[in-house]
Amino acid sequence: MSIYLPIAEMSVNIFVLFGMGAAVGFLSGMFGVGGGFLMTPLLIFYNIPPAVAVATEANQIVASSFSGALAHLRKGTVDVKLGMMLLVGGLIGSTLGVYVFALLRSVGQLDLIISILYVVFLGSIGTLMTIESLNAIRKSRATGGASGARRPNHDSWIHALPLKVKFRKSKLYLSMIPVITLGTLVGILAAIMGVGGGFIMVPAMIYLLRVPTNVVIGTSLFQIIFVTGYTTIIQASANQTVDVVLALILMVGGVIGAQFGAAAGHRLKGEQLRALLGLLVLGVCARLGYDLVAMPGELFNLIGAGGDGGH
Amino acid sequence: MKLVRFILLSFLLSGLLSTAQQAGATAIQMGVSVDEIPVGSDFNGTDIVVFGSVEGVSVDALNRGEYDVVIKVVGGNEDVVIRQKERTFGIWINNQSESFENVPAFYSVTAGKPLTEIAGKEVLSRAGLGIDNLGSPLAAQEEFEFILEEGKFADALRRLRRNSGLYVEDPGGLVQLSPSLFRARVGLPPNVPIGTHEVTAYLFRDGNLLSSKTVTYRIGKVGFERWIYNLAHEQGLLYGIMAVLIAIFTGWAANAIFRKN
Repeated sequence: MSIYLPIAEMSVNIFVLFGMGAAVGFLSGMFGVGGGFLMTPLLIFYNIPPAVAVATEANQIVASSFSGALAHLRKGTVDVKLGMMLLVGGLIGSTLGVYVFALLRSVGQLDLIISILYVVFLGSIGTLMTIESLNAIRKSRATGGASGARRPNHDSWIHALPLKVKFRKSKLYLSMIPVITLGTLVGILAAIMGVGGGFIMVPAMIYLLRVPTNVVIGTSLFQIIFVTGYTTIIQASANQTVDVVLALILMVGGVIGAQFGAAAGHRLKGEQLRALLGLLVLGVCARLGYDLVAMPGELFNLIGAGGDGGH
Repeated sequence: MKLVRFILLSFLLSGLLSTAQQAGATAIQMGVSVDEIPVGSDFNGTDIVVFGSVEGVSVDALNRGEYDVVIKVVGGNEDVVIRQKERTFGIWINNQSESFENVPAFYSVTAGKPLTEIAGKEVLSRAGLGIDNLGSPLAAQEEFEFILEEGKFADALRRLRRNSGLYVEDPGGLVQLSPSLFRARVGLPPNVPIGTHEVTAYLFRDGNLLSSKTVTYRIGKVGFERWIYNLAHEQGLLYGIMAVLIAIFTGWAANAIFRKN
């Protein structure tokens, strides 16, 4: 069954999009990430104009992160104070990001920069996560199945910075500087790449800020709601590229998939989840990296006001 | 009798009655099956039917098949940029580019046989007929406001638009119902641009353009699609807030439903 998207101005198959939403939702529920880093490339691959894909994906992530954050709030695994501080940076970052997005689009290098950002970030984060989690799995096997819980060591330079604040929930005494900086950087990337930024935020919180794993996902989701909500509103008022019909199809598929994904995630240990997420991230990275270096089938591309895309 | 019925049919379908014709002058009369195409949530492309007749010519000449009719549909003017990727440090990067102004977003030519059998390249170019003749400098003054100089970027524009179904050449879509009556079916793809489209019928005899006539139809979003589109473009901030609220509600609803289960 096809449906006409009023903003993308094209006819799409509602079941394909719903299925994409559900599949990505499953993975996002399982790993506690928004899934934008999978969905945005998929949408562009499905011929949705990149500008519409990026803006609409921000809208969809509002729904999936809100749904996920509610569950975490109920379980008490959200550090609201830390989330708010990340959010301050996030709002600054996404404002900058939307501006950079428009700039890159006007010089015709948006798609390239998006691809390179994906490859660089997915590649380094995926590699780090996979190595770390495989080590953790090996260690926990060696110690006969002990949890292998990794107590944060407080000797990193990040913990030596001034302007320290107490984050009770995370049992951290941490400087505001790295928190707001991280929020800003992720906000910029989120706006340019059409993602919530969870796949950067989650590992950065674990490895850089040393936030305990149990509050990382809830806190990341909590701040993603606001950053993506804000991005949606800016994109809608500045670029008119948010397609609510597309977003709604993806949302419904996404939140349903996420419920099953979350249930599947509970059956896996933290390090197993991180290893799988690491491999998934590396897979997407490899795919995008291949597209950058492989000879394209069509060397020319067209950018116009019409609905035939331009990637 | 049959002939009269066909003429009536074509006029009924078109909904527009042609202007009174001068007796004896060679002319082409035509109409389109619709004058307003609604784009709703189930829009997945559509067909329009162009009916018409050739008038003021001898039946003998018509019977000998000396006359040819070509239908052109053009919609949406836009500026486009064509960029070419080049390998730089191992990766493919957009490098050279060329801009084109006032390029039609949708362009379709329908005839009863290949255009090259109807007229020569110069005549076709002047009338802006044929994807390869589109935007020829010959036609720039009278037909189009844009020029596609020969070259790889103009070729790429034609190729990309052809591949996305927006530039179409259909050498078999026009049928003669009788020596003087014709009917053409023109397909509009799902990604057809919104707005007013021009339909022009050209009458050729022995490779010369004798006459042409243009009518228009509108294609526009209706109902919910129209409302969404207008809201997004006129009240962007409100639209964005609404989009976020819908998302919050969907997230909450999913959470509430699945918690009970």
